Amino acid sequence: MTDSPVLRLVDAAFTHPGGGGVSGLRLEIAAGEAVALIGPNGAGKSTLLKGILGLVPRTAGSIEIGGMPGDTQAHARHGIVSFLPQSADLDPDFPISLEQVVMQGRYRGLGLFRWPGRADRAAVRRALASVGLDSLGARPFGELSGGQRQRGLLARALASEPRLLLLDEPFNGLDQPNRDALVDTIRSLKRDGVAVLVSTHDLELARLVCDSVVLVNGTQVSCGPVDEVLTLGNIQECFEGVEVEIDEHTVVVPGHEGH
Amino acid sequence: MSLTDALFAAFSIPFMGRALLVMLVLAVVAGVVGVLVNLRGLEFISDGLTHAVFPGLAIGLVVGGTAGLVPGATIAALAGAVALTWLDRAGITADAAIAIVLTATFSIGVIVVSKSDDYTGALEALLFGRVLTIPPGEVVPLVVVSLIALAATAVTLKQQLFRAFDARGSRAAGNSPLTLDLVLNASIALVVVAAASTIGTLLVLALLIVPGAVARLTTRRLWWLFPIAALFAAVGSWLGLAAGFALSVGAGVDLPAGATIVGVFVVGYALVLLGSFAAGRIRAGLDTRPPSSGATRPTVVPSSGAPTRSAVGAAGEGR
Repeated sequence: MTDSPVLRLVDAAFTHPGGGGVSGLRLEIAAGEAVALIGPNGAGKSTLLKGILGLVPRTAGSIEIGGMPGDTQAHARHGIVSFLPQSADLDPDFPISLEQVVMQGRYRGLGLFRWPGRADRAAVRRALASVGLDSLGARPFGELSGGQRQRGLLARALASEPRLLLLDEPFNGLDQPNRDALVDTIRSLKRDGVAVLVSTHDLELARLVCDSVVLVNGTQVSCGPVDEVLTLGNIQECFEGVEVEIDEHTVVVPGHEGH
Repeated sequence: MSLTDALFAAFSIPFMGRALLVMLVLAVVAGVVGVLVNLRGLEFISDGLTHAVFPGLAIGLVVGGTAGLVPGATIAALAGAVALTWLDRAGITADAAIAIVLTATFSIGVIVVSKSDDYTGALEALLFGRVLTIPPGEVVPLVVVSLIALAATAVTLKQQLFRAFDARGSRAAGNSPLTLDLVLNASIALVVVAAASTIGTLLVLALLIVPGAVARLTTRRLWWLFPIAALFAAVGSWLGLAAGFALSVGAGVDLPAGATIVGVFVVGYALVLLGSFAAGRIRAGLDTRPPSSGATRPTVVPSSGAPTRSAVGAAGEGR
């Protein structure tokens, strides 16, 4: 980790024009590091991710992406940052194949006047291979299973070869094989030096693949190494009064942690 | 009159040749743009644009005669495209409000036309087109308008398809929804301009919607949609003009050319629909789609989660 972090937030706040947002964000993610973003529903996890993308306005503090201040035009970020949305509401009858979906990840770099070439097709194949779907490229996207579609969209996010990958609840609704495949993908991305910020309800996942954790609940509650942040006290503070609608986990912190 | 006369020789007559040239260019463009209309579900906006164009045609006609038609319609269509893009973006879903505005523009158009000397003739030309009486001087403007629509669509085609498939994903990837919608709606508007001058404002929608629908029935391959729609529209226009010519010259039945073309389109659509039924290809509507991936499922957290802190050291390798 030689150079500056891929993402740096200093006292940043992102606020929807209509109100609601997340504030007090102090966070650094280095190349090859994965950070879990944890908090109750409505805590502003998605807002934070969209704020990094420039889709939700920043109302305080500063942001730096790839060593550049985030105030350079938002679209300058997009070559660097890729986003996997929580659930894409996609028409299964849309006539498009998996590899055509993944190719969409290359469009940004192509601009308006160029069409995909050999290098782009190679990048699509690599992205498909890295999510374990290389044999299904020609398949209509709508015929894939839900988990395969999610992995296909991840491949699209990877096809642009981002330095920072933002994943919004990527494990929701995944069965075990798809979940394992996603864990493997995140690990190999880290080996390749990609910085990953993943919002999740899955504390187990945070332990499996993440180096640090950010707890948010409207504002940043805590941030640091997994073992130090995922303590009973922190989680109770973060989830206080929320009545645990976070899937099924009753916000039980594994006992061996101490706290 | 023989078949070859109707299909080929007829078009050596200057007015038939002009009609064919304009219709072929327009058909190809309408086919390509129409695929996007279909994929985006923009039929309502397209319908709105046909109404918005009408007062422009009418005012153009009154101010500048037939030479004023294309400029008047172009201005009205682009203004309509901007207005409808804005309405859509503002989240105004009140179809009634949009319909009131659009019928208002239509009535303004009728009132303007009623002030012209040849009221019924002018109205008929605007509503039902005048593909067989396109003056030579109007061929170039109509072709240019069509080609501008084609170029605007072609340049943004990748991003338009991305947006049609996954609007949020496209936005997250840095594409401006506003720009893409303005370009697409302006392209539709320009097709409407060219089509209103040929087959008439009332029949424009057929040109924009039928070829795209035929392509969707025919293939599930994305990039085949465009050539199929364009080819269908071109062949349909050609056969429509030929059939109208054969019936009016050969059989003495005087058919309006625009309506005959649309009739051929609809017959073609019906044949393709029957064919796809026969091929058992109808998937849409049967709704055997798999459940969406968005369903939340409880995640079990084993309490023995072993912390892994491995990959930090490997981070320095870079890409």
